[in-house]
Amino acid sequence: MRKLVFAAIALAMGAGEAARADAVLVLNSDEASYSILSRSSRIELARYPVGREPHHVIVTPDGKEMLIGSTVTNELLGLDIKTGERTRVVKDVIDPYHMGFSPNGKWFVTAAYRLDHVDIFHADGYRLAGRIFIDGLPSHIAFDAESKTVFVTLQQSGRLAAFDLQTQTLKWNVPVGNAPAGIVMLPDNKRLLVALTGEDGIVVVDPKDGGVQSTLQTGKGAHNFWPQGDGRLYFLSNRVEGTISLIDTTEMKVVGNVRVPGGPDCMAITPDGKELWVTQRFLRRVAVIDIEQLRVVASIPVGKSPHGVFMLQSGAAGPARGPVRAASTAEDQK
Amino acid sequence: MRDLIDIWVGLQTWIFETAVGPVLFEFGLMAWYEPGYNAVEFVMLGVVQIVVIAVGMRFFERRWPLEKSGKDDRLILVDQIYTLLNKLGIVPLAIFVVTYPLVQEIELAVRAWGFAPPRLERILPWLGDNALASFLLYFVLYDFAAYWLHRAQHAFPWWWALHSLHHSQRRMTVWTDDRNHVVDDLLITLALVLFSQLVGVQPGEYVIILMIGRLVESWSHANVDMNFGWLGNRLLVGPRFHRLHHALASPEERHIQDHNFAPVFPIWDILFGTAIYDTRNRPTGVADPAVDNDNDRGWIAQQITVFWRFARALTPKIRRATAL
Repeated sequence: MRKLVFAAIALAMGAGEAARADAVLVLNSDEASYSILSRSSRIELARYPVGREPHHVIVTPDGKEMLIGSTVTNELLGLDIKTGERTRVVKDVIDPYHMGFSPNGKWFVTAAYRLDHVDIFHADGYRLAGRIFIDGLPSHIAFDAESKTVFVTLQQSGRLAAFDLQTQTLKWNVPVGNAPAGIVMLPDNKRLLVALTGEDGIVVVDPKDGGVQSTLQTGKGAHNFWPQGDGRLYFLSNRVEGTISLIDTTEMKVVGNVRVPGGPDCMAITPDGKELWVTQRFLRRVAVIDIEQLRVVASIPVGKSPHGVFMLQSGAAGPARGPVRAASTAEDQK
Repeated sequence: MRDLIDIWVGLQTWIFETAVGPVLFEFGLMAWYEPGYNAVEFVMLGVVQIVVIAVGMRFFERRWPLEKSGKDDRLILVDQIYTLLNKLGIVPLAIFVVTYPLVQEIELAVRAWGFAPPRLERILPWLGDNALASFLLYFVLYDFAAYWLHRAQHAFPWWWALHSLHHSQRRMTVWTDDRNHVVDDLLITLALVLFSQLVGVQPGEYVIILMIGRLVESWSHANVDMNFGWLGNRLLVGPRFHRLHHALASPEERHIQDHNFAPVFPIWDILFGTAIYDTRNRPTGVADPAVDNDNDRGWIAQQITVFWRFARALTPKIRRATAL
């Protein structure tokens, strides 16, 4: 077994492009570390320290770095997307719980879940353009395709807020349901999906005014999304129910379910599109789901309260194509 | 090791997903979902602590007692109730519900002024890459803060009115550590949580620090006649060292309780001149008969009486009116 581990470490950390493409990064939010796993061997290869309470990870617009937000140490740690090596630390980004770049790459936005504010930065140099204090636990964010508006779910107050990026002002703030968390803009740019962690499903919201267009029952504690393929299908984690639902957003119906115990949260799909990796917050594990069969095929031990999960890029990936959005969107992985 | 973690976490998850999580969901308390999960671990750790105390530490008390059994043995019962209420999370839960929003508000206000508390990693960047060193340093700092808070408990009359409950016991045992008024617990918790946030203690670390610290403190209250050598007695607070802090004041030693304050590391007492190392056996308790009367009361009566004592100390007008 030890030989296998050393071989896997040598393989993954030995700097070969194929090996790096095999790696997965998982943020252990409650022990200030991140784990590097091997996709093929399904084992944890190494664990590295990072600032306190890291929750989410995103890719920079140039596709060269991934940024880990450390919410207690108020900083972003940059890692080279090809080698995993540390590139820089961006200080004084206060409580960067969830974050993302606008599709045009001009704006960088963070939701300070613990400290009730939304920060809008000029992405160039991470200069703060505006801080908006807003009650209700700002949770997750999404952008419109034109990079004019950022949408922020407010988990405590059950509302969804929209802010103008250029002026950093509130456009609207409306109730959408109990404990809204994960949010995505669908490719048609006309519908927002919002997961209601305090209920048993999601709502479809009009991005113009926040009006709820329809609802869909999925499972208790609907929490976060991850797209499959072109964005017609979305995976959704149901934290209380302990399931992952597969949603067809064209017909707005659930087309599959898989049981994943232990508070399933963030997800990522392997580059070959065959597996969905899901963090199991409570069990300190990452579940591997065979997408075709919709069943859990492995569960890998990691650190305490694993939250964000990210597939490291191969050297051939190059700059990110098209929009790079919040952590839990498909474009981060392209 | 991983098997043990899996068993522990599996049990914690099962309890949470079966009993706690669904209740939080039904009552619309999903903002407390993660804290709720951590609370389950807190209670589980409390059970472990009770087992360690009741089986492990009690073994030493029975085998090598410093103070022999006597008529006051019955007074230990109320201290056991305190320990159960604390270790099983009932008192800490109430305190958490009060302190959590308060701490959030304080931090929000501070941030609104544009001030971000410095973290230790800013001063010592290498700490971020060394989990064990980081944990130990935070532990030492936490204990340093606890030492000064303990001194404050003795220095301010209104705080002493609360803290005197802890000292009023006549039979000092492993169960004595948790014998505190809830307002006293609340003040200490609030101060330590704020301090921990200021220096950047991770919540997970905080729980471990708290658990190890409280176990050492339970041990330091034990009725055990054991010596850990010159160095051992200066590295970690032991029963003899802390028993002196609980010693009954006498005409020759009127301020004996103003010594040996340190919760875990005696270095603070040595550095700040409050350490006394000697092997003299002294009875424990308080000289003030009004405070000593705590011993004839149960948990509820103690809480009410001591709160009244606190209110009188805090409000001179009430104190004068009572005196008249």
